[in-house]
Amino acid sequence: MSLAAPAVRPLAGPTTRLPWPFPDDLESFRYSVNVEPARVLRPTAAGEWGAHIVDLGGEEYGATMADRRRILDADPHRVRILPGMLPACWDLLLYYLRDLAISFPHIMELHEDEDRLHWRNHALGTDQSFVLGDAASLPYDPMTFLGREIPDDLLLVKERDGQLCFDAGLVTFAAAWSVSFDVGMTMDEIHNPVPRLTKEGITSRAEQFLRRLPADQVYRRVNWTLSASGSRKLDVSLEELPAWGTDIPALVRDEDWGRLQLRIEVEHFVRLPMTGAVTFNIRTHMTSLDEIRRVPAWRDQLARVVLELPEDLATYKGFADYREPAMAWLTAEVVA
Amino acid sequence: MTSAGHLHPSYDVSPRRLMVVEVRDLTPEVRHVVLVDPHGTALTPHEPGAHLVVTTTPGGLAGGTTKRNAYSLTGDGVVPRQYAISVLRKDAPTGSGDESGGSVWMHGLGVGDVIEVEGPRSSFAPRHDQRHCLLVAGGIGVTPVLSHARAAARWGGSVEVLYSYRPGHAAHLDDLRALAETPGVSLREAVTVDETLALLRDRLADQPLGTHAYACGPPALLEAYLVAGRAVGWIDERLHLERFSAPALDPGSPFSALIVSSGRRVDVAPGTSLLAALHDAGVVVPSLCRQGVCGECVVPVRSGELEHRDLVLSDVERRAGDRMLSCVSRGARSGALIEVDL
Repeated sequence: MSLAAPAVRPLAGPTTRLPWPFPDDLESFRYSVNVEPARVLRPTAAGEWGAHIVDLGGEEYGATMADRRRILDADPHRVRILPGMLPACWDLLLYYLRDLAISFPHIMELHEDEDRLHWRNHALGTDQSFVLGDAASLPYDPMTFLGREIPDDLLLVKERDGQLCFDAGLVTFAAAWSVSFDVGMTMDEIHNPVPRLTKEGITSRAEQFLRRLPADQVYRRVNWTLSASGSRKLDVSLEELPAWGTDIPALVRDEDWGRLQLRIEVEHFVRLPMTGAVTFNIRTHMTSLDEIRRVPAWRDQLARVVLELPEDLATYKGFADYREPAMAWLTAEVVA
Repeated sequence: MTSAGHLHPSYDVSPRRLMVVEVRDLTPEVRHVVLVDPHGTALTPHEPGAHLVVTTTPGGLAGGTTKRNAYSLTGDGVVPRQYAISVLRKDAPTGSGDESGGSVWMHGLGVGDVIEVEGPRSSFAPRHDQRHCLLVAGGIGVTPVLSHARAAARWGGSVEVLYSYRPGHAAHLDDLRALAETPGVSLREAVTVDETLALLRDRLADQPLGTHAYACGPPALLEAYLVAGRAVGWIDERLHLERFSAPALDPGSPFSALIVSSGRRVDVAPGTSLLAALHDAGVVVPSLCRQGVCGECVVPVRSGELEHRDLVLSDVERRAGDRMLSCVSRGARSGALIEVDL
């Protein structure tokens, strides 16, 4: 039998930079504290990813940021900063602007003169001078300013009474959750709905990890699901439920499996030194089954992992009802 | 730089060299030392109340032993261009084992000297959601309190400072009085023990809802602070404190430690710590405060009954009996043998 790839076009663009969420030898997925050092380039079957803590997204950067800015303009409630968290938002802004200017020197520049900063992002046309800590010197709060420059959802956790709490966030690309609902919750409260996670001690181990996150190291973690929308739409937040809630039932009815999207989330954990807040920033990537089918190693691995997943986890991830026909389509031999 | 670390140099906390640019006496015993990066780079930001670990060489570079001493940073920690610490000179009493020689060494520094530092490290940070902040300083305990007060003023917080000092020996009193001119900052001073006790009782009984309190000073002040706070209904979760010195300990009984990896037996005499005995035997355990306060010198213990004399381990950790702070804790009784997993 031939393993001839169904590919017609050479791999290019986002697929070659996709953070494929599974190690090469992974056959079955269970939740774990799968953290690893950040800024380590990782090869995949189609390319590589992970050199920087921010993935601007190449040719998609402009469109993603236009989407982000449109959502923020339309719905201010996507940014939630609890009392006392503004210094941590400045800490976050300074850390990321400094990092970006070093990671992408050809398009981003940061000039520092004591507390006076000058940020230029030539890709988006941003040219902003401001004073660190002076809210009036920026057009937005510091978290929103950063959120309009990079595609990551921005989340800050901080300890209160011995528990890590999600006390500030800018989230426009949530996977069926809402920043307004979750803000202020402890890690336990946020993760209770995930089957097995808290009962198996994973939440508490993850929390221990974040609490002890060393000041001199940056870590990352990759998470995945099948998206709640059969399109590239990143905003499948609870706020937008009416806009995407019928997408998957329609896709299943039409058996249009090629449009199903693997949703990959890369989280970055940085302890911000000025406030001790820890980032839980989430960068979301999407790729369709149609695209995955062109990379045989990905195609086979995704099908194995999805079909093997126990019922409770498949239900939580939202694909228990249709995983079999979808994966059958994915692995079916293509008639040229 | 490792691939996992920070790209920007102003996030470095590893051991590195900083240069002394200012030395100034604040009182006859307290010297203020200001450090900068020799290359002019902005220094790593830090939380209020953080400390810097300085490698000191009491006795001089020739023949002296290297120690690591922690000193509170006095700035607000927001994009610092310099680190400033204030060091109380503590001349080592005879027979004390030279535990305090670091401050004497610090007092010998001059402008242009380059020293090794590590950190900053944070262990006395403010609660971000506090609605008001009560700061209590006794003597040289003013240093982290000044950092908290400066950060609160910078971020527009509301803060009340209580400063207990001996007249003529009050480091940073001028800085606190100047800060108290800022909206939202107030200062109250006490110059005798009775005044201090009265002030603690009075102010702890009259704070707005949502206040967190922070104290740093000698053991007696911290004890009085806890007693006064609890007496008027404060919960311990809101009575934060930082100990910079522990109560004096008795010399303890002699005991022995068996080093599991080498099978070697080390005898620990009264007045000598396990940490020092291990060091003399060539087994180096990282240490910092050497007073049972910071937790740096914890060693795993395989067997043997322990007398815990530190202020770090929880009751649960003590009962587990699988670790001890080698600077202060000992075998449970005279002649005891413990096995340390080193």
